[in-house]
Amino acid sequence: MIGMQSVLSLDDVHVVRDGVSVLGGVTAQIAPGRCTALAGPSGAGKSTLLRLLDRLEEPTAGTVLLHGRPLPSYDVLEVRRRVGLVQQAPVLLGATVVEDLRTGRPTLSEDEAVELLGRVGLADQALSRLTASLSGGEAQRLCLARALAVGPEVLLLDEPTSALDAVAAMSVERVVRALVADGLTAVLVSHDLRQARRLADDVLVLRAGGLEEAGPAAESRYLAGAS
Amino acid sequence: MSPSVPSWYGVAASVLLVGIAFFLVLRERLGLGREVLVASARAAVQLVAVGGLLLILFRHTGLPGALAWVTAMVLLAGRVAGGRARGLPHVMRVATLAVATGTAATLGLLLAAQVIDTSGRVVVPVGGMVVTGAMQGASMTLQRMRDEAITGRRAVEARLALGLAGSVAFAPHLRTSLRAALIPAIDGTKVVGLISLPGATVGLLLAGVNPLTAIRYQVVVMYMLLGAAAVAGVVAGRLALRTMFDDAHRLVA
Repeated sequence: MIGMQSVLSLDDVHVVRDGVSVLGGVTAQIAPGRCTALAGPSGAGKSTLLRLLDRLEEPTAGTVLLHGRPLPSYDVLEVRRRVGLVQQAPVLLGATVVEDLRTGRPTLSEDEAVELLGRVGLADQALSRLTASLSGGEAQRLCLARALAVGPEVLLLDEPTSALDAVAAMSVERVVRALVADGLTAVLVSHDLRQARRLADDVLVLRAGGLEEAGPAAESRYLAGAS
Repeated sequence: MSPSVPSWYGVAASVLLVGIAFFLVLRERLGLGREVLVASARAAVQLVAVGGLLLILFRHTGLPGALAWVTAMVLLAGRVAGGRARGLPHVMRVATLAVATGTAATLGLLLAAQVIDTSGRVVVPVGGMVVTGAMQGASMTLQRMRDEAITGRRAVEARLALGLAGSVAFAPHLRTSLRAALIPAIDGTKVVGLISLPGATVGLLLAGVNPLTAIRYQVVVMYMLLGAAAVAGVVAGRLALRTMFDDAHRLVA
């Protein structure tokens, strides 16, 4: 049965928005402990698919499953704690680093905050540092740490480096690779095929709302197009 | 007739001021000429009609008639406040309920504590001021919430993605909206008498009432405006918050 071996799966998912089909019958699986890239041209439905996975959007037809159970059978807030999301450009929610980290988990201790910062390569940052003074790369890694603070088993990454310069992008990539190596499941939307090749174990290629290719990233014809 | 009340001739003469405004907006090419004329004509027609109706109301209907009049004002104010925040779900209903609650709480307290008289001559004008205060509180809260839902969308979604409920995810934006809505009422209260001399005091002074008596009324007016704006603003904010998120805690506004 669909979804039994996967953390998240989609079963014949359709999304129609304002009469236009955004996703048309996508069936796919996200394997645990791996990084799955969602690739494809602009407007293919990648970001919509990502948002379906934590119920920021709802399919018009079909089912999204978490551990084989339809998402609506879970409490939606629990789904979002288990399936975290990091947005395209960093959005800071607290005035200081520690306040930001506590947004989703107000009881986070200072020791836990320090440990989280270590996981995203920000070990040298003071908890009291003002978030407004962080660089783009630091801010995006803080967003990663904030998502991790809630303890998700899956992290959805919506073009997490597209707003960053090359050096900052590499720092975020290093963190994502380390988190997946630690057992976290990641789903990455990326326009950058080379980045998808560097980070992803698996790839789902979308084109015009349909699934064109699914399998190991190393064997992907679409990703091979990136030289 | 008191000499301080303009005659009908005086009213006609004041039309010159509309002419000046009209001339200025034309000269500055503000594109508001038609609006100046329509607004001025509308004000005259509305006020004459209202004057006639109030005459009937004060003479014949007593408190029930006055309260019916206040209810009509609440309905109209709800539409105005809601119209300012189009885009929020069910905003007309939310705004009307908020203005109604702010008015009922404030006017109810003034009547129950016998701060004001129950005659139509008192309830209607005081009710009008209370409804205006409530309308401004509700209108500004809802407008700002609508704007926050647009400009703060990414921040709200970032909080939702952390597993926070819609009401919690929007809480900082609600606070910002309520602060923005209440600051004018608070500032108005701060500077009253020093910078502004509000309508109630002006009216009483023009009518020849002793200034110390006039300011007693004004103190009550300022406190009730503050109260009405606060109650209506908070009720509007809370009610709107419920309509802005669906069952799956998604921002639908």
